[in-house]
Amino acid sequence: MQNVWKVIADSFPVLMYRGLTMTIPLTLISFAIALVIAIIVALVQFSKIPVLREICRFYIWVIRGTPLLVQLYVIFFGLPSVGVNVEAFPAAVLVFSINEGAYAAETIRGALESVPAGQMEAGRCVGMNYGQIMWHVIMPQTFRTAFPALGNELISMVKDTSLAANITVTEMFFQAQRIAGRTYQTMALYLEVAVIYLLFSTLISLLQRFGEKKLGAYGRQ
Amino acid sequence: MSLLSIKNIQKSFDGVEVLKGISFDVNKGDVVSILGPSGSGKTTLLRCINFLENADSGQMVFDKAEYDLKEISKKQILSIQKKTGFVFQNYNLFRNKNVLDNVTLGLTSARKVPRDAADRKAMDMLDRVGMADYAKQYPSQLSGGQQQRVAIARALATDPEIIYFDEPTSALDPQLTGEVLTVMRQLASDGMTMLVVTHEMSFARDVSNRVIFMDKGVVAESGTPEEFFNNPKEERTREFLRMEENAR
Repeated sequence: MQNVWKVIADSFPVLMYRGLTMTIPLTLISFAIALVIAIIVALVQFSKIPVLREICRFYIWVIRGTPLLVQLYVIFFGLPSVGVNVEAFPAAVLVFSINEGAYAAETIRGALESVPAGQMEAGRCVGMNYGQIMWHVIMPQTFRTAFPALGNELISMVKDTSLAANITVTEMFFQAQRIAGRTYQTMALYLEVAVIYLLFSTLISLLQRFGEKKLGAYGRQ
Repeated sequence: MSLLSIKNIQKSFDGVEVLKGISFDVNKGDVVSILGPSGSGKTTLLRCINFLENADSGQMVFDKAEYDLKEISKKQILSIQKKTGFVFQNYNLFRNKNVLDNVTLGLTSARKVPRDAADRKAMDMLDRVGMADYAKQYPSQLSGGQQQRVAIARALATDPEIIYFDEPTSALDPQLTGEVLTVMRQLASDGMTMLVVTHEMSFARDVSNRVIFMDKGVVAESGTPEEFFNNPKEERTREFLRMEENAR
């Protein structure tokens, strides 16, 4: 028993270090890029831009219809076989942002469509153009609506980054697997890393709740 | 010369003709009430005139410029919308903006008016509708009547040539209707040009200088309120007025 606790204690700072320097950055960078993709894809569909709109539907269809793990393999192991080499970390960022972009695009599109048509009409009636109305009226309301769902997606993403271990990204779970292999304390290590993921997720949900309060409901309690 | 002249405006939804060729003029300073039974096309008419719907055909002369409604460009529409105001039945205040910002947004974003000048203008307008004390509140914190008064201030702030009102009191209970009508009476006496779709017979009779009665997509009768209410020419006008009388 002595040994288990020592392994846990010794591995904790190492895992935490990987979490803070790999898992969190991987999540935040990918999520930020995903949001940019999602906003563009959602706006293209909302504004009914021909052709581009079909391309966006196709992108969402493909990405949502294939497993994240398979997507990681295609990019990291598949591309080199056709002569394109991608480092593990950039490959993970690429896949996570494209993947999350598809889901977040649908979340944002739903939120866009939930803004009553009268808001757009009122903007036109005070002489604002489409871009001005989107920027000042429609998008702020969209983000207020989409915020809780996007928070959930961010939490999912923190956990999903553990899949990057499969393509040799030395993130937190990869580190846990290595220590487990060395010490044979599999149960202890995997429970330990689970607890750290739980810690991260909890932190994000607290931030999400704080953010929702901060954003307010435009005067409604 | 009239400020707004509409000729032969037509509109169908899915093959159903809602407007079957409407024509009328509005002069500067006119307060014109559009009356008529539900489904007669009043709201559609108003929405077509301010381009919230695209008319199938028709001509418009507005502020000395002539437009073919079938071929009008987005740019022309925007330039007209900058000179008009619109008050909706359900207010449509910007939900993410407080009262002050609701009124200033058309100035600061669409007209590039500096923030402090826009604020001053907006406070003047809010004062005019009795809502200056609520500048920092959000629409959801206000009653329907208060929201509608803010909506009127928002329409006023951009110095429109004309304000369109689409059944502005229909979503309000009688008490709140009163406060909105008071503001509208004040505007009329200040000389604002107004085109008002309404069910308020007292407003049409006492405030407007002309009444247009629509039925089944056409103008069935129009004239001064005296003629219209005391000596209607058409049988369907008489029937409409009888129904309104009975509804009271």
